[in-house]
Amino acid sequence: MKSGMHRVATLLLALACAVPAVANEKAEPDPALSPYWEPIRQLMFGDRVINPDGRDVVRVYLNMRADDASTVPVAVKSQIDQTDSDYIKAIYLIVERNPSPTAGVFHFTPSSGRAQVETRLRFEDFSFVRAVAEMNDGKLYMSQRWVKAAGGCSAPNGKNFVPEALLGKMKLRFDDSFVTYGQPNLVQLMIRHPNESALAADFDADKVPQFVRRVKVSFEGTPVMDAEVDFSISDNPNFRFYFNPQAKGELKIEVEDTHDRKFTHSIPIAEGTPLPGG
Amino acid sequence: MNRIQVTANILAAVAIVIAGTAAAAEPAQLRNFEIAEVAPGNYVHYGSFEERSPENLGDNANIGFIIGKRCVLVVDAGGSLPVGVALKKAIRAVTPLPICHVVLTHVHPDHFFGAAAFLDDGPKFIAHRNYPRQLAARARPYLNYLRRDLGEFAGGSDIVQPTVLVDGKLEVDLGGRIVVVQAWPPAHTDNDLTVYDRATRTFWLGDLLFVDHTPVIDATITGFLAVMGELRKIDATHYVAGHGHSRATWPQVLEPQRRYFTVILEETRAAIGNRKTIQQATDEVGLSEAKNWAAFDTFHRRNVTIAYTELEWE
Repeated sequence: MKSGMHRVATLLLALACAVPAVANEKAEPDPALSPYWEPIRQLMFGDRVINPDGRDVVRVYLNMRADDASTVPVAVKSQIDQTDSDYIKAIYLIVERNPSPTAGVFHFTPSSGRAQVETRLRFEDFSFVRAVAEMNDGKLYMSQRWVKAAGGCSAPNGKNFVPEALLGKMKLRFDDSFVTYGQPNLVQLMIRHPNESALAADFDADKVPQFVRRVKVSFEGTPVMDAEVDFSISDNPNFRFYFNPQAKGELKIEVEDTHDRKFTHSIPIAEGTPLPGG
Repeated sequence: MNRIQVTANILAAVAIVIAGTAAAAEPAQLRNFEIAEVAPGNYVHYGSFEERSPENLGDNANIGFIIGKRCVLVVDAGGSLPVGVALKKAIRAVTPLPICHVVLTHVHPDHFFGAAAFLDDGPKFIAHRNYPRQLAARARPYLNYLRRDLGEFAGGSDIVQPTVLVDGKLEVDLGGRIVVVQAWPPAHTDNDLTVYDRATRTFWLGDLLFVDHTPVIDATITGFLAVMGELRKIDATHYVAGHGHSRATWPQVLEPQRRYFTVILEETRAAIGNRKTIQQATDEVGLSEAKNWAAFDTFHRRNVTIAYTELEWE
């Protein structure tokens, strides 16, 4: 899978260089007419039909005018319940004008609780952010938001410099002070990693940028979320998502980066045991 | 400033220019461009608080120059070629001496895009050791943004590479006048320089000081506060902020900015402690400061975003 992902990323990179580097619209363009979307769609989904008005299935939440193009909070929220017969099995998060447009592919299961993820994105230029939800029956639904932000991909990690010793360190923060069994609980995963962007004008073509490629979350061995991600995710990657514990167990995070480094982190979850928050 | 250590790394390189934009058909001109002599031999042009537009041509930062007996040192070149050209005209109205140095206080477009106006003079372009790395990464998006905002008037605002990099302090002799260029640890950006004219004790702070205009954090809030603690020890009679000006005395003029950062620091820490998200923090933190600053809506939430991403790892 890794080499496959890499090939896609490389292809997309080549593709992105072929489209105009500068766009000057100040108003929101028509999402259906975007020249950026069509090649991405073809490459990622081929001939598959995508319902372009998928707002009843999945929605993207972003501020239209971003405050910091290198750290733009985004939430992708499922509008349907995850049931055994009917669930979102993957959400593709795409910043269509970024050099590597696929920010992440997030895989969910019925036991994920909710197919929802929040993260922080880099924006190279004003862009549509698209979320495509893939149902368990293979149907695809899309919605999008237009965001005004630029320059965030190429801003290097001058701030938030990550010392080598801290690389891969993780922190979990929970929304609630205690876990509640039998319902989705919100958790935030923080990963110390520069998540280097390959876009910088001085980027050394012989160097592979180091960024987090995969984030796998499980509870007691059952998958919660499995994500393939990219450098469109801000430095110190941050994800908020749900897990749905039925009893006490271990919440485990496995992270892998482009340099084949593997990092793991886990914490025990039990009723009555305080959850870290602040 | 008594014990000046000269620890500057000087790169004897030739200025390299990336041709970024085609020259505009008609060179744009600023409607009016005033300068003030804030101390003998120290001249400042105060930029506007407006957003960059074809009308103000990116004249949004405070820029200026210091005249010695032998030559002239420029402190920042403004936000576009026309601003740099206007500054050069202003210099020529005051002195025929050659322009020997252009200090680029940090890698922000409102301060450096006018630098190309000085290429003909062959000055040394002085910047922080970290400047080239940031410039390489930001040049393209900054040029895109400049074209988006100024259209045809962006023409000629080419990227100029620094030829002298400062790490520590660098003394520059303008002929009978020593100017000290000092590099700081990450604060406003990770490549902030200040300029200090010993003869008049005039302290040019670049964007390490904002007056009335919302201060901007592009590196680290804790670093910025720490650097401000060092700045206030500088023995200055006159000062020049990166944006804005006032009658307040040195170092009292630092106080509003220190208070603003302290409010953000404390309220963001509290938000994180109360399990609030970055979105909630940007909606809630520091709103009591809104009345004190210009351009608050444009920059404040961004400051909180940066503060949050730094402080959440404490």
